[in-house]
Amino acid sequence: MLRIYQRLWQVNWAEQWQYRANLLMYLLYWLVSPIVYLAVWTTVANSQGSVKGFTANDFATYYMILLIVDQLNSEITIHLLAYKIQDGTLSGELLKPIHPILTNTLVNNLAFKALTLMAMLPVWEILFLLFRPDFSSVTPQSVLLAVPAIVLGFGINFLFGAAITCVAFWTTRVYALSEFYYALLILFAGQFVPLDLMPPAIQTIAQYLPFQLLRYFPIQLILGKLPPEVIALDFALGVFWLAVAVVIFRFVWRRGVKRFSAVGA
Amino acid sequence: MLKLFTAFLKINIQMTLAYRAETLTHILLNLMWLGWELLSLSIIFGNTATLGGWGPGQLIALLGVFRLVNTLMAALIWPNTEKFNSSIRDGSWDYALLQPVNSLFLVSFSRMVIWRVWDLVLAAILTIVGLSMSGGGTTLLNLLGFLALAVSGMLIIYSLWIVLIALTFWFTKFDNNVTILQALLDAGRYPATVYPLWLRLIVTFVVPIAVATTVPLQALRGDLNGLQVLLYLVIGAASFFFASRIWKAGIRKYSGASS
Repeated sequence: MLRIYQRLWQVNWAEQWQYRANLLMYLLYWLVSPIVYLAVWTTVANSQGSVKGFTANDFATYYMILLIVDQLNSEITIHLLAYKIQDGTLSGELLKPIHPILTNTLVNNLAFKALTLMAMLPVWEILFLLFRPDFSSVTPQSVLLAVPAIVLGFGINFLFGAAITCVAFWTTRVYALSEFYYALLILFAGQFVPLDLMPPAIQTIAQYLPFQLLRYFPIQLILGKLPPEVIALDFALGVFWLAVAVVIFRFVWRRGVKRFSAVGA
Repeated sequence: MLKLFTAFLKINIQMTLAYRAETLTHILLNLMWLGWELLSLSIIFGNTATLGGWGPGQLIALLGVFRLVNTLMAALIWPNTEKFNSSIRDGSWDYALLQPVNSLFLVSFSRMVIWRVWDLVLAAILTIVGLSMSGGGTTLLNLLGFLALAVSGMLIIYSLWIVLIALTFWFTKFDNNVTILQALLDAGRYPATVYPLWLRLIVTFVVPIAVATTVPLQALRGDLNGLQVLLYLVIGAASFFFASRIWKAGIRKYSGASS
């Protein structure tokens, strides 16, 4: 099984390299919004000292780490698979004795991620020199603790993304569904605004939803801002949502494949 | 030309009507994003009275102008780019050139995403509401400057687009041509004056999103003097002039993929 993954990695890594120009553009697209919000909030914080306890430096560190966590947690399954379901080319992959999503699509996601991260590092360094955030609250332990949190977050996001993609077995409007999921994500994840600044009602809801586990939780974990009991609670919540995502994904996938009639193949 | 435009309009309306549920979904999603944008503004102004000297009304008006630019992109520029790129790749651009119409007109208007008209209405409402919220002090002259600069700002972005797609005539494998426009678009949501200098320079000179969003609002606030307004208008006209020259040069360079 390991050899299969190794082989898939080679193929997908080479495939992603082919699209390196596209990749740079995507990267630019990803970078702009966090930088804009960083600029907006630093302006506000500078004009009055701090915003709800967030200083200009707190915003800078938050968004700088967001850029990395965002890359690590994101997934692009819908772009890899939805069209294959729609035009029937998925049948070729279904013939192979391995699960198409949990092998090939997963590895392709990882290859994409690895390459974007590689391209992002120099950009991140330039931004670091431009904003000069003070990362003194980050400790090796906090970074180490964030690793399982990010893996957990990616697992949840990947499985939800895959489940949404599989809705393509029933309808063509799967991209709208994915956009809706993304809107929920940015509302409840702390994507553009740290959750602490959100209206209290949204904060309360966000606490229990899986989305904050994708952004807010790992970021604050790295910055060493969470008390131990919150960390423990969020990890438990992460395991719970991962289980939910597994159940939903398996259900949608099995039903979908049964329904699949490979149009045009 | 007007007749041709109406014909394009008719075809595109028919295309929209063929996918009614799709259209409704798009409008609902669009409203959802509007809700998110307004929420972001209310969060910002829940924590501060002004953002770098800009009040809530002015930012709502800016959001309106931003959405106007966004609509221009989504309703005309993206779909026509897609069509243009594929026609260069498969050689069908040859037939477009054979038609007895201005090729620039053809490449700009043959695809229109009709449901975006709705977005245009929203943008207008946002701008007007924002303007009345920021209230007094707006002179008629400032208002005129605002309108003129909004139009000329969009003309500048349109000109940049023409140049970008005209480059395809020289570098055939250039279908990333407009992604840079798309990538930096989000920077138009907030006044460029709050950005760090390097970002302000990029969105003003490299990809002039801010010239179509921040600058008209500045005119409305009375931040610009007459000379500056005039300068921006001249730049708008000049960029369109140069863009159409580059387009014509590109057409002459084009040799066709099919022949």
